[in-house]
Amino acid sequence: MNKSLLKVDNLTMKFGGLTAIDNLSFSANNNEITSIIGPNGAGKTTVFNCLTGFYKPTDGEMLLSKDNETIALKKFTDFKIAQKAKVARTFQNIRLFPAMSVLENLLVAQHNELMIASGFSIFGILNLKRYKDKEREAVEKAKYWLDIIGLTNRADDNAGDLPYGDQRKLEIVRAMCIEPKLLCLDEPAAGLNPKESSELNKLLEFIKNDKKTGILLIEHDMSVVMGISDHVVVLNYGKKIFQGTPYETRKSKEVIEAYLGVDE
Amino acid sequence: MKPSSEIKSIIKDSLFTGLISLALFGPIVGLKTSSKGQGLFVTPHVGIVSLLVLACIIGRFLIGLNSLRKKEISFVSNITSTISSYMDNKGKHVAITGVLFAIVFPFLPFTDRYVLDVSIMILTYIMLGWGLNIVVGLAGLLDLGYVAFYAVGAYSYALIATTFGWSFWICLPLAGVFAAFFGILLGFPVLRLRGDYLAIVTLGFGEIIRIILINWYEVTNGPDGITGIPRPSFFGLPFKKFPEEGEASFHTFFNLEYSTMHRIIFLYYLILILALITNYFTLKIRKLPVGRAWEALREDEIACKSLGVNPTNTKLTAFAIGATFGGFAGSFFATRQAFVSPESFTFIESAIIVAIVVLGGMGSQTGVVLASIFLIGITEIFRDLEQYRMIAFGGAMVLIMIFKPKGILANRKPTITLKDHLNE
Repeated sequence: MNKSLLKVDNLTMKFGGLTAIDNLSFSANNNEITSIIGPNGAGKTTVFNCLTGFYKPTDGEMLLSKDNETIALKKFTDFKIAQKAKVARTFQNIRLFPAMSVLENLLVAQHNELMIASGFSIFGILNLKRYKDKEREAVEKAKYWLDIIGLTNRADDNAGDLPYGDQRKLEIVRAMCIEPKLLCLDEPAAGLNPKESSELNKLLEFIKNDKKTGILLIEHDMSVVMGISDHVVVLNYGKKIFQGTPYETRKSKEVIEAYLGVDE
Repeated sequence: MKPSSEIKSIIKDSLFTGLISLALFGPIVGLKTSSKGQGLFVTPHVGIVSLLVLACIIGRFLIGLNSLRKKEISFVSNITSTISSYMDNKGKHVAITGVLFAIVFPFLPFTDRYVLDVSIMILTYIMLGWGLNIVVGLAGLLDLGYVAFYAVGAYSYALIATTFGWSFWICLPLAGVFAAFFGILLGFPVLRLRGDYLAIVTLGFGEIIRIILINWYEVTNGPDGITGIPRPSFFGLPFKKFPEEGEASFHTFFNLEYSTMHRIIFLYYLILILALITNYFTLKIRKLPVGRAWEALREDEIACKSLGVNPTNTKLTAFAIGATFGGFAGSFFATRQAFVSPESFTFIESAIIVAIVVLGGMGSQTGVVLASIFLIGITEIFRDLEQYRMIAFGGAMVLIMIFKPKGILANRKPTITLKDHLNE
């Protein structure tokens, strides 16, 4: 059941003379939450940008197993990662479509399927039933996710008008609408209050268990990381300094020194 | 702040405005050069300059005073917000009434040839505005060279019609195809650009097309333009007073007395239909995945990529479709004038079309109509003032920007609502 989903091998990313990621290897499994933690500037977001095609890594491999085949993520550039490899992500600073409604945000995430159903707009212009049905299906899927995060009654409001915590949740379910194999979350708990962050935990548990999606998580909020992760990868200066379960991580001397600090 | 100190700051502000206007009007209006005999002489116009500066000071002072009376302002914005909320609820009724009015318009008692000509011009700008709305309003790509596609449409129509003698209904789609081709041609190099940089390149593109039209003498006949473009016919019936032997003309076929108005009315309906097609198409495509992708791209391109939306194709379709409608409008322009020359496609045309879209409220279809009527109508009303009518044009823009900084109708309606979906 816990078969490997993502295998990162000797990943290196250099910006000129700066080595942001140095020979990083780790793996993430299906139906598990793998957290990447580390001090600011350790290269966590750079790993995400490599995985999701925003950067082209200098060296190394990123292999994703999908439907019994292995895909090299390096081969795909930007939007194709989401379209073909089904790797979805959210951003450190929320990137919704603020002037569009909540529902529209979720429909844009289903763009590629709807585009095919609309015959690249030709069937859609002609108002064919085939497209109408597909659109109804897409709205149903959006409603399903809105029900889960409790935003159904705000579906027709602008996404930019939602409170901060709801925007975070909306961004996550928007990424889920592309039905990803791997979901990369960049600091989803940043700026959330304790109640919202426990709701977030529940949502992530649901995605992991019920949706059979592997989650990669960057987070500074240790209550989230220690509470829900199955694995923790600790980065410092672009290098992996530790990998293990949350319990082991908390006990590790290097991690305490580099990042967690000592309770006084 | 106490009222007296507010008044003081307003006076200070208006004196400063006076200073700026002095610096502007002083050299531009105040120093008139004239050639007398040998050499240039400068004739100072102190009177006019002081009058203009005084007008600026008083105007600024009054605006300042008005901003003190907040109630007054909220009264104005109340009216406009009532209008836009009314448009939200009754938008369909207003649109249908507008279309019905446009249909009976040529037969109303006060409609003479001049009014109809102006209406045709306004409708052309409405169509161009709707076409550009796809690129600027929906996809958020600021295109300052839209007139290039208008020119490509007009010239391809003119060249095809004069060379092959094909009818309007064959040349029209061909002109659209050519314009779309040029839209994609422009689209490719500017894919990575946004905002200011995109605006500069598109502006350059518009100028390139115009300069090619001037210099490619063998094909475009240079600055002399192309003459003798065939007039449109009513399904094969020409609008001629004396049809050729054995040929029916519009008035002989319908047993009417000959009138030049027939052709004008036909042209009016032609552009009305073309504009309505543009509008219908835009409203329809906005609700399709590609339309939503345009708006999403306007909102956040990086988020789009992370969701698997192909930004290249999405932008290119926006450019191509926007250009197609520009091309249609261009063919109409060519057949109406029976003459095209590069002079008709200067930057000011692009600027007017962009102004119509922005002042109407980005992405708002009704806003484009109102802004076209307002801007083109006002310059026509003040035609007697000759060159000074551009002041009226500028004044209209300033008024809209003061009272409705987001455009006349800035409300965006979602393309799909859960409410409607559940009620189905």
